[in-house]
Amino acid sequence: MTTAVAPPLLEDTQLGPKAGGFYRYQNIWTGLGFGIFLGFVAWLVSHATVQGSNWGTDMVVTCTMVAWVVGFNIGMGTFNAPIHWILGHDQTHEDELYAAGVGQGSSRYLKFCTDHKVVGTQYLVLVMVLFGVGGTLAMMIRTQLITPHSSFLDPQTYNAIVTIHGMVMIIATIIMVSGPFANFIMPIMIGAKDMAFPRLNAMSFWVVVSAVPCLLATFFLGGVNAGWTTYAPLSVQAPAAMDAFAMTIITFVVSVTVAGVNTIVTVVTMRAKGMTMGRLPIFTWGTVVGGALGLYAMPAFLAVMTMMITDRATGTSFFVPEVGGSQWLYENIFWIMGHPEVYVILLPPVAAVLEIASTFARKPVFGYKVAIAGFVAIAALSIMVWAHHMFTTGWAPNLAAPFMLTTELISIPTGIIFLCTIGTLWKGSIWTRLPMWFVYLFVWNFIIGGVTGIYLSDVPADQFFHGDMFVTAHFHYTLLGGAMIGATAAVCYWFPKVSGRMLNERVGKVAFWMIAIGIQVTYFGQFWEGFQGMARRIAYYNPHYETANQMSTAGAYLLMAGWLVFLYMMINGWRHGKIAPANPWHAKTLEWKVPTPVPLENFLVDPVVTSDPYTYGEGVPDGQEVPESAPAPEPELVPAGSAPGDQIDAGGAS
Amino acid sequence: MSFEEEVDEIEANTLLGGAPFFSRPGGKIFIIWLVFTVIGVLIGFYAPHHLLPVMQSPEGGDVWATIVFFTVLAAPVAALVYAIAFYSLFAWRHRSEDPDVPPPDAEPQRGNGPVTVVWLAVSTVLVVVLLFWGIAVWSAQQVSHPNALQVNVTGQQWLWTYSYPGTGVETRTLDLPVNRPVQFNVTSVDVTHGFWPAVLGVQVDANPDVVTVIRTTPNKLGKFIVQCSQLCGLYHAFMNNTGDVVTSQQFDTWLQSNGATPTAAATAAGTSSSGSTTAMGK
Repeated sequence: MTTAVAPPLLEDTQLGPKAGGFYRYQNIWTGLGFGIFLGFVAWLVSHATVQGSNWGTDMVVTCTMVAWVVGFNIGMGTFNAPIHWILGHDQTHEDELYAAGVGQGSSRYLKFCTDHKVVGTQYLVLVMVLFGVGGTLAMMIRTQLITPHSSFLDPQTYNAIVTIHGMVMIIATIIMVSGPFANFIMPIMIGAKDMAFPRLNAMSFWVVVSAVPCLLATFFLGGVNAGWTTYAPLSVQAPAAMDAFAMTIITFVVSVTVAGVNTIVTVVTMRAKGMTMGRLPIFTWGTVVGGALGLYAMPAFLAVMTMMITDRATGTSFFVPEVGGSQWLYENIFWIMGHPEVYVILLPPVAAVLEIASTFARKPVFGYKVAIAGFVAIAALSIMVWAHHMFTTGWAPNLAAPFMLTTELISIPTGIIFLCTIGTLWKGSIWTRLPMWFVYLFVWNFIIGGVTGIYLSDVPADQFFHGDMFVTAHFHYTLLGGAMIGATAAVCYWFPKVSGRMLNERVGKVAFWMIAIGIQVTYFGQFWEGFQGMARRIAYYNPHYETANQMSTAGAYLLMAGWLVFLYMMINGWRHGKIAPANPWHAKTLEWKVPTPVPLENFLVDPVVTSDPYTYGEGVPDGQEVPESAPAPEPELVPAGSAPGDQIDAGGAS
Repeated sequence: MSFEEEVDEIEANTLLGGAPFFSRPGGKIFIIWLVFTVIGVLIGFYAPHHLLPVMQSPEGGDVWATIVFFTVLAAPVAALVYAIAFYSLFAWRHRSEDPDVPPPDAEPQRGNGPVTVVWLAVSTVLVVVLLFWGIAVWSAQQVSHPNALQVNVTGQQWLWTYSYPGTGVETRTLDLPVNRPVQFNVTSVDVTHGFWPAVLGVQVDANPDVVTVIRTTPNKLGKFIVQCSQLCGLYHAFMNNTGDVVTSQQFDTWLQSNGATPTAAATAAGTSSSGSTTAMGK
């Protein structure tokens, strides 16, 4: 018996004093500084040159925002390596280790860091900050609606808050699982040492960070008063805030696209030996299909917002009807993005729910291949349903039936996901730890969201419900009650791996019940408003709807309190939680087979994959393991009948 | 535990065991399913009856009927998911002294072909039913009446203007004669608005430079509200006005009081030819 000698940890490498080059001097502060500096220069220059022209303010805001985004990323070091390569230099191994965070302790979380686990953690914090902002705005909306003619907010502020609440939440929910967990967990799950493009991975994070100030700047530029859908021509006439809003989205799309490509390439090319596509954990499939769908959907958002900016800042007329444009063009491109986008949000958390259900039912995922087919079918159908958002616009009434068909068809693969979920629970050994509670809450909410969706898919019923609070309640049940609760389950599930500590589940149960009840009260109140016929996005309403609104507001306060308890649990767990074992849930996927905290490049010894990870109860050894020490290297394969020296020739001749 | 008790327990835990139906898991799931289905159907009848405003057109009645019909179709499916989820939580939940120790693995079950096929087949049938319902109702609403009362609706930030062609009447309130087909020709002078007389069960956007058309036949007297349903800027919340469904004589009088000549008003109200008034609803 040879005793296994652990290879030295990469993060213990002593780097030379010049390792990392310019990266040594760059962090979030240089990013902020250079971003503000470049933004200011751009403002000065554009203000001096174009302010007096027809669309001056719009051009000035656009230039300033572009300069801020570029400057911030230059200051962060996003472009260091490409600039090096352009200049004919290369990054040394030491430089790469420095960029991955070696020797920088916790300051690497505020730097351009290529380690996928650092990027995942950065995303997790960003998502929580965004939910904090979006949730605060939601509370302001609900506070305004306690009484029919509240003077809490003026209508301009109210409209701006409604818009930014929507957009902050859309950004946060798109990245809430694909950011933290597709980055931190997914590469370990498939046995990879990092993402395929670690620099692009870090870039995707810092680019979305640079988008957030643009979005918040809208409040100081007059406010976007057109709702998160920013329908033209209202948005073409909106204050200069709209330019910052469009720049936010353009920047965000760059980030999502880069991240989506990275996820797909990682799964296609970086899997460990033996990790066939059919052995991938189901969560990986969810992130890949969601990422691929994002690659289809998000560029349309970039296109429509670019056209919006040129309409506003240069006088083109894509969306201005009186000079040949069309508001329906805007609405079509917007929803060609908008509907696939909700499944970009939904698929990763839904896949995480299946993963978690399997672990805590101690059973394989029911219908693994059927579920994957369901994901793919949802993605394929979701690109053909966009016009159900336009049933009442008057555009192409004769397409009502086809779009009703595709919209209702999508309930078939969604039903399959439900079958797989309850099939996994069926006769399981249900282990009711905190993540599992959120899985049950997901099932409860997502059914309500799904059933209320079928009324809206029906054109005659949609003629009543469109633009009504019923729609608001419906999509909050799917996106908050479904997707975000699924993501919450994922947070509870992977928290021990990410933070190295356990959560306090007693506090978690309190948060769970507050959130669970809060959601039902809030959105049943809104269904009620919707049935009564209260329009969305109104700051003042008919006193007839008052009771329903007060119910909804009461629920919303409870919901917010629940999230605050949840936040307390996370922060407390991160700082003082019990040290987590490597595999607290006794799960079988690879991320639980590596030590906690996860070492740089994840695997000291390459994992061995001989089956999928769902071998619960099958009486066989786990098919996805990390051996304690590396096996002896296999002898090199040599074609039969040739001497070792002939190998190159033989290869060259074939 | 005696041998008999053990046998009883094993049988009670198998779906098709010899125990009485309602003490078997299948029977218990059936009961939970039944309860949820009944609750769902009751909500499906209660909500439109008591929460929807009183609808004043056949299209509004279609909204009501669609909600009831879809709920009746969806309730059993949703209830099945709930029943199995709830049952799993109460019956198959594993309680142990040490919460950090996972329960023993369950019997593996990687899928079930027949169940999946039945599930797919049932959901496909349901979707087809939904679709046929939707298309049937929608196409029945598309009939245009040549004698329909024409009303031109113009949205602007932040008010509605209604004009009745041929009468010269232009108002800020929407009066309609009962039981007379009406066609709304909707447009906007600035941004996109949503013309939404909710209780008439129809809705269409008011788009600049385009005329969109919706049709309905008000069949119940009474006042209603027209609300803008597309966020249209600062005072979007105040972009509403009242409408009123009145008898054709009242409509005639109303048109005249708003400046229409008696002849024009009678033509628009459909009260010109003798006898036609008596055909109108009360």
